[in-house]
Amino acid sequence: MPVHTKTDSNSPLLEGQGEVKKIILVVGARPNFMKIAPLMHELKRHPQFEAVLVHTGQHYDMQMSGRFFEELGIPAPNINLEVGSASHAQQTARIMMGFEKVCLDEKPDFVLVVGDVNSTAACTLVAAKLNIKTIHYEAGLRSNDRTMPEEINRLVTDSISDYFFTTSVDADENLLKENVSPDKIFMVGNLMIDTLEANLAKAVGSPQLFSILNKTGNIDIQTLQPTGYGVMTFHRPSNVDEKPSLERLVNIWGAISEKIPLVFPIHPRTYKNIQQFGLIDTINAFPNLYLIEPLGYLEFIHLVSKAKFALTDSGGIQEETTHLNIPCLTVRPNTERPVTVWEGSNKLIKIEDIETEAQAIVEGKGKTGTNPKYWDGKAAERIVTILEML
Amino acid sequence: MNRILTIVGARPQFIKAAAVNRKLQEQGVNEVIVHTGQHFDANMSEVFFEEMEIPKPTYNLDIHGLIHGAMTGRMLEGIETVLLKEKPEAVMVFGDTNSTLAGALAAKKLHIPVIHVEAGLRSFNMAMPEEINRILTDRLSDVLFCPTDTAVQNLQNEGFDKFPSKIIKSGDVMQDAALFYAQKATEKSIIIEQLGLENFVLATIHRQENTDDLEKLNSIIDGLNQIHCETQVVVPMHPRTKSILAQQGIKPAFTIIDPVGYFDMIRLLQQCQLVVTDSGGVQKEAFFFGKHCITLREETEWTELIDNGFNLLAGTNQAILFSAFQEMKVKQSDFSLNLYGNGTAAEQIAIVIGKA
Repeated sequence: MPVHTKTDSNSPLLEGQGEVKKIILVVGARPNFMKIAPLMHELKRHPQFEAVLVHTGQHYDMQMSGRFFEELGIPAPNINLEVGSASHAQQTARIMMGFEKVCLDEKPDFVLVVGDVNSTAACTLVAAKLNIKTIHYEAGLRSNDRTMPEEINRLVTDSISDYFFTTSVDADENLLKENVSPDKIFMVGNLMIDTLEANLAKAVGSPQLFSILNKTGNIDIQTLQPTGYGVMTFHRPSNVDEKPSLERLVNIWGAISEKIPLVFPIHPRTYKNIQQFGLIDTINAFPNLYLIEPLGYLEFIHLVSKAKFALTDSGGIQEETTHLNIPCLTVRPNTERPVTVWEGSNKLIKIEDIETEAQAIVEGKGKTGTNPKYWDGKAAERIVTILEML
Repeated sequence: MNRILTIVGARPQFIKAAAVNRKLQEQGVNEVIVHTGQHFDANMSEVFFEEMEIPKPTYNLDIHGLIHGAMTGRMLEGIETVLLKEKPEAVMVFGDTNSTLAGALAAKKLHIPVIHVEAGLRSFNMAMPEEINRILTDRLSDVLFCPTDTAVQNLQNEGFDKFPSKIIKSGDVMQDAALFYAQKATEKSIIIEQLGLENFVLATIHRQENTDDLEKLNSIIDGLNQIHCETQVVVPMHPRTKSILAQQGIKPAFTIIDPVGYFDMIRLLQQCQLVVTDSGGVQKEAFFFGKHCITLREETEWTELIDNGFNLLAGTNQAILFSAFQEMKVKQSDFSLNLYGNGTAAEQIAIVIGKA
C-alpha cells in the first residue's frame, strides 16, 4: 500500500511543507506581551505553523492590554479566558479550568508559555496532564527566593516542561543542576530585546509629554534632557503596600531628585497607596520628583532609552537597561537575571544604599557593561528554527 | 509545631494519614483534616472511618467527578479558603493525587510550609498524571519524608541538595498501616471463607493507561484468563474498569468481585499465592504480606522490590505476563528484608513535626 503523501490537489497544504504544527501561545500579563510579540510575527512568516494566541486575562485591564497589543502589532487573541483578578489560588484555578477546555477543543501539538506569571504555571500544568508537549520560554531563571510567587511559578513550570528555551547561560546551568536533560535546553536569547530592537527607532520619534499625577499640568521629558533624569519602576508589595517602607522610599526618591530629576510612571494601585498613606505632601515638597501616568510600551522604552539611569524593584527593565548599557539600580536582595549583573549594567543594592549609588551615577561613575550573548533581536528566529525541528 | 492541616482525598491517603495521626496525638500536635472529596463511594462511608479507626475530616470540600485541570482548580480554590480560615503552621500532603498537588500549591502560594509524605518517588513516565503530581509536589515542599533510599536518591538527582528543603528518610507509612490493620483483618474479614478461596492469584487493574487502552486491556485480560486456567484468578474490580469491559463486550473467564475494603484486601493479600497488579500501593502491600508480585507496567516507583527480586515488571503483553507467572509461582524469597522502615515511619514523621 502506498504511503499517503499530502500532495493531492485538494490539500490546502503547500507541497513539501509537511504537517502543519499547531502551537498555542499563552499570554496572561503585560510582561508576557513583549515576549510573545516577536514570536507571533516570526511564526506568521512560517506557514507550517498554526499559531493560536490565548490570553488568560490575568491582567484584566483591557484598556492597557489592548494598547500594548496595538503598539506591538500583536493580533487580537484567538481566545480570551477573561479570568480577571483574584487570589493566587483562585486565579490559577480559573485559568486551569478555562485552559483545559481550550486544549481539548484545539488539540495543539505544542503549548508555549513565557515568563513566570500564574498563567505560565497553570497552563503548563494543564497541558502536561493532557500529554501535550510544553515549551517554556525564559526557563531556568531562579531568584532562589521562594517567598516570591514568581519563583514558585518558575519552579512549577520548569519541573514539568518538555522543552526549555533560555535567555542566558546561567539559566542553562540552573536547569542542568535540576537534572534537566541538556538536549531539552536551548539558549535562544532574549525576546524582550527583539521587541526593544524592533520598536526603539519608532519610539524615539514619539512625543514625551505626560500628565503629572500629583499636581496639575504636564511634563515634557525633553526639557529634562540637558540635566539628565532617572527613571523609576516600583511595584513589589513589600516596597509599596505598607506605609513605613513606602514612606522611607518616598523620602529617598525626594533626596535623589534634588540632585537629578526622577520620573516615575506609577501604577494606579501604588498611587492610591501614596494618597491613602498621606504621602502626597511629602512628594509635592520635591519639585523634581515627577509621578506620571502609566505609559504605553513605546513611550516607556523611549523614556528609558534617554534616561541617565534606572531605579527599580522589577524584572524586565533590568534587561532593557543592560542592552542599552544604561546603569540600573535594582533594589532587591537577589535577581533571577544575574547575567545583567555579571555582564550588564545592573547592580543589586539595598534600600539604605540607594542615595549613595545614585550620587555616584550623577558624578559619572555609574556601572557600565556588555550586551549578553544572543541579546541581539534574533531570538524569535532562533526559536522558530528550533520549533521546526521538534 | 502545635497545629497542622492535612489534605486527603483518595482512600489510601486516609489510611496513611490515620497512621501519622495516631503518632501526632502522642506528640501533642493538633491536626485539622480536610477531605477534598476526590474519592467518594460507599466504601468511604461512616463505617469506613469507624472500622479503620480514622479520624473524621473536619472539612469535606466535596469535589469529584471532574477532569484533571478542572478538579485541581476547584480544589485549589476550596483549600485556599480553608487555609485562610484555619491558618495552620504547616500543611501535610500524602502521595501523588490531584488532592496532593492542590494542597501543596495552595499552601505554598500563601507561604505556608508544605510537608510531603511519600516524597521522592518517580516512575520516570511523564504520561502518568501521578508523576506530574509527584514532581510538582516535591518541588513545592519544605519537608520531604521519603519512604526509601531510592526516593532520597531521586531527589538528590534532581538537585534537591541545593534547595532550601529538608529531606528525611522516614520509611513507609503504608507498612505501619499494614502492620496495624493485619491483626484486625483476621478478626473482621470473612472474605476468604465467603468466596471459598483456596489457592488463588490476586489481581487488580485500575490504572488509566491500562484501562483506557483497549489493546493493553485486552492483552491483560487474556493473560489473566490464561493464568486462571492453571490457578484461580480473583479480581476486585473498579466500577470504571467494569463498565469499560461491559461496553466492549469483554467477558473475562476469571473471578470478578466487587471492590473490597481494606480488611478484605489484607486478607486476600495474606491468603493469595501471588499478586498481579498495576497499582503502586499493592506492589508494596504484596511485599508486606510476603507475596511475590507481577506488575502490569513498564516501570515502577518501587524499584527496590525489583532489585531484590520480589517484583517483576511484566508490562501488558499476554505472553510475558504468563511467563512471569510461571517464574514467580515457584520463586523463594526472604521477605524479612527491611526495605520500608519496619513500621516506624509515622512515629519518625510525628517526632520531626512535633519538634519543628
